[in-house]
Amino acid sequence: MLEVSNLNVKYGQIHALRDVSLSVQPGRIVAVIGANGAGKSTLMMTLAGLLAPASGKITYDGKPLPAKAYDVLGEGICLVPERRRLYANLTVRENLLMGAFLRNDKDGVQADLEKMYTLFPILRERLKQYAGTLSGGEQQMVAIARGLMSRPKLLLLDEPSLGLAPLLVESVFRTVREIKAQGTTILLAEQNAFQALEMADDAFVLETGRVLLTGTGSDLIADPLVRKAYLGIKG
Amino acid sequence: MFIQTLVTGLAIGGIYALMAVGYSLVFSILNFSNFAYGSIIMLGAYIGYYVLMHMGVPLALSVLISIVGAALLCFANERLAYSTLRKRNASSLYFMISAMGTSIFLENLVYATIGSRFYAFPEVLTQQNVSFGGVSLGLLDVFAIVFSAVAIYGLHYFLQNSKTGIAIRAASYDMQVCQLNGVNVNKVIGWVFLLAGALAGISGMFLGMKYMVYPTMGWITNKAYIAAVIGGLGSLPGAVVGGLILGVLETFVSAYVSSVVRDVFSFSLLVILLLVLPTGLFGKFLEEKV
Repeated sequence: MLEVSNLNVKYGQIHALRDVSLSVQPGRIVAVIGANGAGKSTLMMTLAGLLAPASGKITYDGKPLPAKAYDVLGEGICLVPERRRLYANLTVRENLLMGAFLRNDKDGVQADLEKMYTLFPILRERLKQYAGTLSGGEQQMVAIARGLMSRPKLLLLDEPSLGLAPLLVESVFRTVREIKAQGTTILLAEQNAFQALEMADDAFVLETGRVLLTGTGSDLIADPLVRKAYLGIKG
Repeated sequence: MFIQTLVTGLAIGGIYALMAVGYSLVFSILNFSNFAYGSIIMLGAYIGYYVLMHMGVPLALSVLISIVGAALLCFANERLAYSTLRKRNASSLYFMISAMGTSIFLENLVYATIGSRFYAFPEVLTQQNVSFGGVSLGLLDVFAIVFSAVAIYGLHYFLQNSKTGIAIRAASYDMQVCQLNGVNVNKVIGWVFLLAGALAGISGMFLGMKYMVYPTMGWITNKAYIAAVIGGLGSLPGAVVGGLILGVLETFVSAYVSSVVRDVFSFSLLVILLLVLPTGLFGKFLEEKV
């Protein structure tokens, strides 16, 4: 579905991604794990079209990835950015409608709004509230729902568990599984390595801009290096 | 006397509000003070004056032509002077310098081509009075109040309810995420400048009729700037309230104290307000939750 080969991305002087190659198969949850500054967000933003690669190839469904972020969304790739980045000055409902900006099927959008309220019942009570007044957990729900409103084929989730209480992290990961069950492919960047690997079909370890390891989620959980460096388990 | 002063104050306040809203629209999305806005207002007034006086176009249509003309000029201003800066991620200081340059250029262009003469609209249009319950009011003032109210309400409705309007508000908060939502930010910015330009056309026409049409008439946007700051830069309701407060207070100062101290008063108000309420009456207090 998505093929990345020898991708290099630079932020001015900083070489953030070095020769990154990876592939995402349809219908799977793919996790990218790595420490702060490993390049996870850079990878996500590049895949969403916000950053231009210095070199390398990204193909999606056999075609090169469009250069503009809004065209990337049009192709069905949607990024839910790190730290949720809701429009704090818009109501929850307007945030969700922004997610459906490219769609012109009013009835379909309305039906999807209803779907979001089923997925996240708390949203129905918050519809007219400004998104900036929500708690962190609620904001994450809105952020994911906003992403889903575009009906993506590939959903990029950047650190959805960041700053959430453990109970909420559980619920976010449960939601991710539900989204996958409904047929959306997911690429997930997480620092919360254990839970991400547990859930992932495939996974990559990113370290200082390079892909260090590749495997299935369970392979990587069992890998001694991952256990030591990312899961904090000795031996 | 009191009611007449109030109505005149509201009329001037309404025009200040229009200009302040135009200012704030651009500020809210690109985060810089568009000092070229005054020149667009001035050009709008010239366009309106020209088609009315030299082409025999009726007044209502002249206002419309002035609105469309100013909107297109404002749009062109963005595409020619600001869009390249945007692509280079320039800081807002450069936008401001570019805006000042545009303003000086346009003013001098008018000096060089049309001249420095002052033009007045015919008195038939500007000096008519209507009476309401024994109080005689300037017809122009009444029109200014009605027009600014309609224009501002229309803009508000558009921003609250249309897809493009919601996208404009979204982009004013986070342009990058807007792109992730499929918004072509370039188009949205184009819309913002068209809308701001349309407001400039209306205010240019009214200012020209109330005072006169001349190359530096755009400097009155200083007042709109004060109004926008009083309300809280970037806040549209703030711009409206700020404009009305400033217009009314100023007119009362002119009428009851002296018209000489009017501008001293306005600028003192700005300085004091910045000391007491640096973010204005409706300044943004939105924090990101982590």
